[in-house]
Amino acid sequence: MTLAATSNLVAELLAGPRPAEWGELREAAETRLAGRDLPTTRDEDWKYTDLKALAGLSFAPAPKATVDISGHLLPEMVGTRQVFVNGHHAPHASCASAVPAGVRFFPMSHASEACHALGSVPNGKSAGLFEDLNTARFQDGAVILVPKNMKVALPLHLLFITQANAPVAVFPRVLVVLERGSELELVEEHHGSGTYLTCPVVEIHVAEGAILRHERVQRDDAEAFHLGTLKAEVAKGGQYHSRTLSFGARLSRQQPWVRLAEGAEASLDGLALLEGQQVADTHSFMHHTEPNASSHQLHKCIVDGKARAVFNGRVRVAPLAQGTDAKQQSRNLLLSESARVDTKPQLEIYADDVKCSHGATVGALDPEELFYLQSRGLNADDARNLLTYGFAADVLTHVPVASLRRALRQLVMARTQAGSLGDLS
Amino acid sequence: MEGSGGRMSTTFNVVTSQEYKYGFVTDIEADSVAPGLNEDVIRFISAKKGEPDWLLEFRLKAYRHWLTMAEPDWAKVDYPKPDFQKIVYYSAPKAKAPKYASMDEVDPELRRTFEKLGVPINEQAALAGVAVDVVFDSVSVTTTYKEKLKEVGIIFCSFSEAVKEHPELVKKYLGSVVPSADNFYAALNSAVFTDGSFVFIPKGVACPMDLSTYFRINNKESGQFERTLIVAEEGATVSYLEGCTAPQFDTNQLHAAVVELVALDNAFIKYSTVQNWYAGDKNGVGGIFNFVTKRGLCKGKSSHISWTQVETGSAITWKYPSCVLLGDDSIGEFFSVALTNHKQQADTGTKMVHIGRNTKSTIISKGISAGDSSNSYRGLVKVQPKAEGARNFSQCDSMLIGQSCSASTFPYIEVQNRSAKVEHEATTSKIGEEQLFYFQQRGIPAEEAISMIINGFCKDVFRELPMEFAVEATKLLSLKLEGSVG
Repeated sequence: MTLAATSNLVAELLAGPRPAEWGELREAAETRLAGRDLPTTRDEDWKYTDLKALAGLSFAPAPKATVDISGHLLPEMVGTRQVFVNGHHAPHASCASAVPAGVRFFPMSHASEACHALGSVPNGKSAGLFEDLNTARFQDGAVILVPKNMKVALPLHLLFITQANAPVAVFPRVLVVLERGSELELVEEHHGSGTYLTCPVVEIHVAEGAILRHERVQRDDAEAFHLGTLKAEVAKGGQYHSRTLSFGARLSRQQPWVRLAEGAEASLDGLALLEGQQVADTHSFMHHTEPNASSHQLHKCIVDGKARAVFNGRVRVAPLAQGTDAKQQSRNLLLSESARVDTKPQLEIYADDVKCSHGATVGALDPEELFYLQSRGLNADDARNLLTYGFAADVLTHVPVASLRRALRQLVMARTQAGSLGDLS
Repeated sequence: MEGSGGRMSTTFNVVTSQEYKYGFVTDIEADSVAPGLNEDVIRFISAKKGEPDWLLEFRLKAYRHWLTMAEPDWAKVDYPKPDFQKIVYYSAPKAKAPKYASMDEVDPELRRTFEKLGVPINEQAALAGVAVDVVFDSVSVTTTYKEKLKEVGIIFCSFSEAVKEHPELVKKYLGSVVPSADNFYAALNSAVFTDGSFVFIPKGVACPMDLSTYFRINNKESGQFERTLIVAEEGATVSYLEGCTAPQFDTNQLHAAVVELVALDNAFIKYSTVQNWYAGDKNGVGGIFNFVTKRGLCKGKSSHISWTQVETGSAITWKYPSCVLLGDDSIGEFFSVALTNHKQQADTGTKMVHIGRNTKSTIISKGISAGDSSNSYRGLVKVQPKAEGARNFSQCDSMLIGQSCSASTFPYIEVQNRSAKVEHEATTSKIGEEQLFYFQQRGIPAEEAISMIINGFCKDVFRELPMEFAVEATKLLSLKLEGSVG
């Protein structure tokens, strides 16, 4: 049992001056943070994810910097990107020239306080400390507003890059509002180098009948800490589909929180590829508050080295939410002796006319499948790599942006060493 | 469908209000200690029972540790915390003589109670083939079949008797599975337990009959702290049954039992429970708090422990019969039906801790919630780094009856060995109107149809129960659900 890690991290991160804009919001967050400390493994919500390593570090506010983004450009989104470096908007790296008229896609620092939607997604209980830290100290971020019935043809690209020469903390913030009947594809990427802490918060409002497809790629530095929060409110008949791919960070935690209104649909898929000493934690909360909504979750983890994967998927069906259809799957593949998986799917049901199920599996590659491939002439390593790749690839099948899909497949192939088998993408 | 649905709802509402059948109080002058808990009370209990020093020390150590512990609040149950200073920690039925030569000498009041409960204690017992060690308000009154069991070397007696007659065995195994500081309620039990059962099956012996005990809470406000210890030596097998009923009271009563099972090489212990403590009335007044620690240690190679439980009673249930799979090739099983109705709250499940190689565990849990009740499955499957080839399969299904109940599933899966294969599935559903319609269309009334559907839902668990329990369990579920299904 770990004793409470007494750290000054929270106070330290709040030490700097409070940015002037969004004053009320920030003050409220600071009030909630007063006297709070990092959670420990004694907190049920952090039982499997120890923040001790974080407690020992201290982070300075991140300075402005310039980076070369040529390696991160995707052909479909050349003219629809906003880039943020160290939490600050990078105007020279950004380009919004191809964004269709009517769609607003701009840095938060350009938004007036009248953009009242910020902070309006109610606090899920599972959010908390790192979300509040973001609210109290975010420098910049992106605002995306899609007007009624507009179906945006080009995907929008959000690129968050952190460059840390010494440990820094960044707090990217994103607000996405889809008005009634609109549609959007959004790609959100996190990259970086050095030791840093990033606590992104993404707030999403999907209005009646609107559809948001959200691809999230986390490729932070192997020394980074990524503690992210995502909150999505999906109105009647709206759809929110996200896929989170975690490759980087020494320790990462995703806390997606989705609330579904009547007849809404949501999916929260995930893939984490872990090696070395990495820890990747996903704490999701799918909240069915109204009737006839459906949700789907497929979360996969491939764990190598001494890495650890944690999954805590909570599905709550409120008393009014009759006719709910909720499915959740946590699938975990262990590749090494010292890999570890802790998974905890949770169902909380307060309505009787529902169809809810969850499943979890943990195991190694199936020896029979390995044998089959070997009987077909593959050597043991290739057989193993091919099966590992196959396990991961099914999460990538539906990535809508072709160049991203290819890039991700190649990344997965490299990580699973399936590259020697030729181009599987 | 519309019309039939409406009619069914009314039927359902009529169907669940079966009052508690066993709500009567036996008037026996109790030999009690004043309410409250301190070291003197523990010394009193120990002295009263003529215990050796090491056992008093065990109690005091547990008590001192208990003082430093906080009552757990992680379970999904909500209840007024008991005042431990208001509980009577010792009460014994007044005995005319220390031992009875025959049943005729037993307090007639007590005998009537047993008759009402249908305990097969004399000839009935012989016919039923069941040896019953009756625990009545903490003190063992009579034991049957002892002689017959003695012939093959089996010890089946009250815990107090075991302390007197087989202290070396008790000392060796007591607290070896559930340490005195294990958890809040186990520590409390370790400090103040009054009696319970002790079973010892020697090497190579297959117990010739099912062993069974009835527990009963009788004295108002007297908490029950039973202690059960079952040891099966190499190659031994035993099936143990535990059944509970309790009289109706308005004040909540605490029941904090500890059950320890030890299975050595190739031993098999099957532990079956039908739990029907008083659950409180329809408005949630009264009822038993059932906070139990049950754990089996598969200590030996190829040992096997199987828990089967049918939980229908208690206002609050907090119970996780577990298996520690220490021996290579050992097997742990957990089969559970938990039914909650009215205002009942149950948080129950199991823990399977895989430590040895090629250990296997199976979890089948069926939860049924009706009325305003809350029913949670909470389980842990843990595969430790050295547990090569561990295998677990878990299935947890919930059924909801009515719109104001809830069902939750909280499985914890912790895997630290890559050769492990762990699978968990859970589903939640309700009794389909179509299913009901089909039954009714075939001339089977709604009530009966519900009972059949529920029994089908629980079949995987019921077939693990010994015959007489299976019959009882089936009846019990039907009774419990009368008036509730919609």
